[in-house]
Amino acid sequence: MIVDRVTRFLTHPEAESFEELALAAFAWQLERIEPYRRLCEGRGATPETVGDWRRVPPVPAAAFKTMTLAAAPAVEVFRSSGTTGERRSVHHQPFPDLYGQVIDASFPRFCLPYAERLPILSLIPPREQLPDSSLSFMADHVLARYGGPESAVAFGPRGVEAAKARSWAGARQREGRPVLVLATAFALAQWLDALERLDLKFRLPAGTAVFETGGFKGKTTELTREALLVRVQSRLGVPPEFVVREYGMTELTSQCYTRTLLGGDPDLFIAPHWVRVRLLDPETLAEVPAGVPGLIAVFDLANLGSAVHLLTEDLGIAEGEGFRLLGRAAGAELRGCSLVVEELRGS
Amino acid sequence: MLRDAFLPSSPNLSGEPHCRRVERPVRYLAARWAPETLGRVAAALREGAAALREISAEDLLAAWGDTVATFLRPGSLERRALDPPLARLCGLSREGLKAGLDAVLGGVRREPAAALQAKAPRAAAEDAGPVLAVLASNLPGLAVQPLLPALILRRPVLLKSPSAEPLFAPAFLAALARREPRLAGAVAAATWQGGDIALEVPLLAAVGTVLAYGEPETLADLARRAPGKVIGYGPKTSLAVIGAGMDPHEAAEGLARDVALFDQRGCLSVVAVYTAGDAASLAERLAEALLDLARRWPPGPPARPVLAAVRHLRLEAEMRGLWQSSLPLRDGTVIVDPDLELRPSPGLRTVRIHPVADLARLPGILESWRGRLQGAALAGRDAWLMEPALRELGISRCAPPGELQSPDATWHNGGIDPLEALATSP
Repeated sequence: MIVDRVTRFLTHPEAESFEELALAAFAWQLERIEPYRRLCEGRGATPETVGDWRRVPPVPAAAFKTMTLAAAPAVEVFRSSGTTGERRSVHHQPFPDLYGQVIDASFPRFCLPYAERLPILSLIPPREQLPDSSLSFMADHVLARYGGPESAVAFGPRGVEAAKARSWAGARQREGRPVLVLATAFALAQWLDALERLDLKFRLPAGTAVFETGGFKGKTTELTREALLVRVQSRLGVPPEFVVREYGMTELTSQCYTRTLLGGDPDLFIAPHWVRVRLLDPETLAEVPAGVPGLIAVFDLANLGSAVHLLTEDLGIAEGEGFRLLGRAAGAELRGCSLVVEELRGS
Repeated sequence: MLRDAFLPSSPNLSGEPHCRRVERPVRYLAARWAPETLGRVAAALREGAAALREISAEDLLAAWGDTVATFLRPGSLERRALDPPLARLCGLSREGLKAGLDAVLGGVRREPAAALQAKAPRAAAEDAGPVLAVLASNLPGLAVQPLLPALILRRPVLLKSPSAEPLFAPAFLAALARREPRLAGAVAAATWQGGDIALEVPLLAAVGTVLAYGEPETLADLARRAPGKVIGYGPKTSLAVIGAGMDPHEAAEGLARDVALFDQRGCLSVVAVYTAGDAASLAERLAEALLDLARRWPPGPPARPVLAAVRHLRLEAEMRGLWQSSLPLRDGTVIVDPDLELRPSPGLRTVRIHPVADLARLPGILESWRGRLQGAALAGRDAWLMEPALRELGISRCAPPGELQSPDATWHNGGIDPLEALATSP
């Protein structure tokens, strides 16, 4: 079965070729997902006519907001966060075990290159609190699989539990062992705000890393990444070369990471071997050359349950063996003679 | 060289502010502001109020009408200097800019201005103070909308241009002051990067009223910093309702104009059409009309994020098996969507046509949009029968297709009477 082949490919890339698996996954989804079949048939794309995974029609991420894309009965249903009134993406995930195996095959490589288990502080809501969040699924999995006994979650019903995070950091600082902090950018900023209010500074032990993922979507507060990194160094004592970024989303099963801990560019996302990322011209959907901004299209073999070839709503730029994130497609927000956000707006 | 500021004539402002040259994306002289300079501008405007109050209604209308007529002529000196940079800054084609200015300025020509003047019983109280109008950048020429009622009520005005388009307001004020020098001390235009609280403190303290076009967060922030002074015009959207017996060809032509003007960036830009008639036929006609308009009013250079959003929308429609036009992405997108929920457009002249057999269902369908709807283009008797119910939802303008985006000076934008807003404290 295709899911077994993909699962095996995660840990044995030599077993098959990406190309073969990609085309097999395309055929499998085409057969099972009606809206996708409609899209492909309208474009004359069938397993007989498509001989290159790049020619497999991508599914727009926006489709996850309006229709059910499920190749098999869902075992987990994940929903994007989204703002009030906005439609949320819904990912019917039939293969949560595969999701766990994806995390195991990629997370340690980028985020735990030097240790098997270590104390982890998570500022991400646990599944108990947000059962339909794919990020919470991932955080729980990471804590269970890679967290030492001192690991903790400091995110409650009211958001970041700053006091709990503070005492946890104090204890780990005294112990002198490196730790890992998991957080969305927004939660991290909240904790740093709290530390700033108390004028507290930690020097977390050398080797400590921070895992940071996008978390500003729909938030009114904007914060540049540079400013965040400065504050992380100043308040936690973690230098920028120990902050790993993750690129993932509800609509995907796999994640891309920066290779920061291995000396890589801190803003260049690298895909694992079962994922291919291309940048497409939004007007023609043709691949753009390196250095030209385009829409990020992700071919994720592990996204078997819904859409292996996904056209994200993110804009990026290809560079070397990875890509940089530039921003998002325009939201369909109201226009109303008031487009400018910055005018006379205070902090 | 064009400037991003127009200062009231006052001995207290001689030599100020210092300017720097901006080269990109267009060339102009940009003023550098300090809190005390802006405070002095506000003080100068207060002093200029006396001369403003001496101007008769006839003289004011004459100067205003002449200035507007000049700005409506693309061959005028003012327009020849302004059009190329304005089109570039607003992201519109030259033809699109002309159409937009025709719509905005056409609504404040001498006749509609006189109609508004006739509704003003008297000038505002002498101590009402200057008006600060915080403008948005998506519609060129929008400065005239708050300016006219303020002048009719003889209140000095500072137009805060958006930093993305700082040139129209000072050019218009300079032309107006040349025609009526007694106005010169009572009007000003300036721009600065929003969010500079220190810069804005003396100004917000000195003005009597703030008219602001902006996002809800911006308006709330302003209201906090200028309590009791802010009248906000928040984001809204517009739709069309087409009755059962309407000729699709006739309706489509006007609808295309309502969709395409300003490249669909205005609050009166139509994003959805509800029709009791043949939706497929209307969609085909509308696509043809949009294609025709794309030749006459070519769209401005589209931003990549907008192209990306429309690409997503089209692919999603394809997956849902919906009928959609085959226009080039830049020229427009028409989708027939049986799902009746109103969805805003990301831009690029994108419109959904929703077949609805019984138009009486509309208030229920649109209920969740209460307070966020601005206009409705109505065609056919059954559509016009819905006008009271639509107005009850907060729609402030109903007009036949093709005329929605051309309100005149008496229009109550967002349901706010432009004179009442400035005659009394908010």
